[in-house]
Amino acid sequence: MHNRNLAPVTPEEVLDWLEEGRVSPAEAFALFRTLGQRAEIINNQPKDAQEKLNDVLVELDALIGLTEVKQLVREIIAFVQIQKRRSEERLVTEPLVLHTIFRGNPGTGKTTVARLLGRIFRHLGVLPKGHLVEVERADLVGEYIGHTAQKTREQIKKAMGGILFIDEAYSLARGGEKDFGKEAIDTLVKAMEDHKQEFVLILAGYTDEMDFFLQSNPGLRSRFPIHIDFPDYNAQELLAIAELMLEKRQYRLSEGARRRLALLIQRGLRSNSYTFGNARTVRNWIELAIRRQAVRLVQKRGEVTREDLMLIEADDFGEGL
Amino acid sequence: MRACMVIGRANVGKTLFAINFAAYLGVSRLEVEFTTPDGETYRRTLTQKEAVEELTSPEPHHTLGVQRVEIQMPGLKGKKRFALLDTSGLTDGIPEESIIRRAMAQTLAQVRDAAIILHLIDASSVGRHGAVEALGQVDWQVAQFGGMRTGYAILANKMDLPEAGAGLVQIRREFPGHVILPISALTKAGFAEVKQFVWRHL
Repeated sequence: MHNRNLAPVTPEEVLDWLEEGRVSPAEAFALFRTLGQRAEIINNQPKDAQEKLNDVLVELDALIGLTEVKQLVREIIAFVQIQKRRSEERLVTEPLVLHTIFRGNPGTGKTTVARLLGRIFRHLGVLPKGHLVEVERADLVGEYIGHTAQKTREQIKKAMGGILFIDEAYSLARGGEKDFGKEAIDTLVKAMEDHKQEFVLILAGYTDEMDFFLQSNPGLRSRFPIHIDFPDYNAQELLAIAELMLEKRQYRLSEGARRRLALLIQRGLRSNSYTFGNARTVRNWIELAIRRQAVRLVQKRGEVTREDLMLIEADDFGEGL
Repeated sequence: MRACMVIGRANVGKTLFAINFAAYLGVSRLEVEFTTPDGETYRRTLTQKEAVEELTSPEPHHTLGVQRVEIQMPGLKGKKRFALLDTSGLTDGIPEESIIRRAMAQTLAQVRDAAIILHLIDASSVGRHGAVEALGQVDWQVAQFGGMRTGYAILANKMDLPEAGAGLVQIRREFPGHVILPISALTKAGFAEVKQFVWRHL
């Protein structure tokens, strides 16, 4: 399941392309060089990193749906690699500004992708640590004058070398001029100037709210060159996600349970998309079903087989839910 | 085990070089591990004569996949073990046959991990046709790739042929800054220098 449109970003993909007849051996050697094989061969440390980048990409590709997100992430990787190569050849390089806006409903994979991005940036050598500090308004905004800047700076300090991920960032603009949220924004903007290459800021939230938030803070908007939209999953994707979650936990759905779950998902999608939490709601359903299955098995008379332990029945999803 | 790879375009004499170089290093019976483009491996033991007869051919792409021989190289101080890998010829364009493409992907996969890359070029052909005609895009790309690392040498092969001397001059002009060793895979001329180079980079 690898990408078909963009240039390969790992040596493994170059080999795949060569085998598929999409590049000639000469081009493959040229690509190897572009991919910064230099560092990889001279010492072994970055070679590990290269292999791990591939691991992260495999993980990214394993996420269901999110086609555009995956493409964009690859574009970012290619951009970073080419800028690095250009600087090696002493060509003019674009500054690596990677602050990003994530727009999408809850449960559409924003946090998951942010975590992967952190690891990707670490493997690319853009961020030394690549960890994710996940915060929301309450972690940044204080209660009295001066408190907010202090709290915000603390979070930024924690995120140094990694990603500061602010969920529902639009809420910082809530409450008008007198709200301390504005102070948090100012502190963030200052940190983005002072510590340009030292951390990546990701602001996430609902599409409409984020648009409004950025419109009302033009200075902020221009500092985020990358925007990634996370569309809602469709029913098919959600069902696939559910089955993947169950498979990881070593459970599986009976035919009836599968139908029941599909029905629940359809009902959820028909309801307001703001209250339906996409993949997160599906995960909650699955966890509930696993608990109910346990109760059912405990109460069951007779022997509980290995098969029973794995199987989720329709009733485990409840009647009404 | 550290690997020494023999790469180059088709029909530059990679397999003959690998066999005779192994023999030069004192391997009389070659225990060859073959890896087919499909990833299957099998082993055979061949004498030098049998190997030359079976594994080399004037037809291009006689070697498909990777042929690996483990060698203990005696030096002034002790011995060094390494694997000598003979690979299938690289083409300039995209080969039509999928099996050749797979074989080349295999070669490139190994190149990434190899300690030493010996890049064979047919010096006689360069002397006869000129560098532009005789060399391919892939030779320049391999040289640029090799230039970024240690353990890369160009072996100007077929020095036993009359036009090769002129070819060597051209190769030296085309690839400045690289280690270029003139050899003859057939007569084993220049093998001492290759041995020295390999020893130094293991």
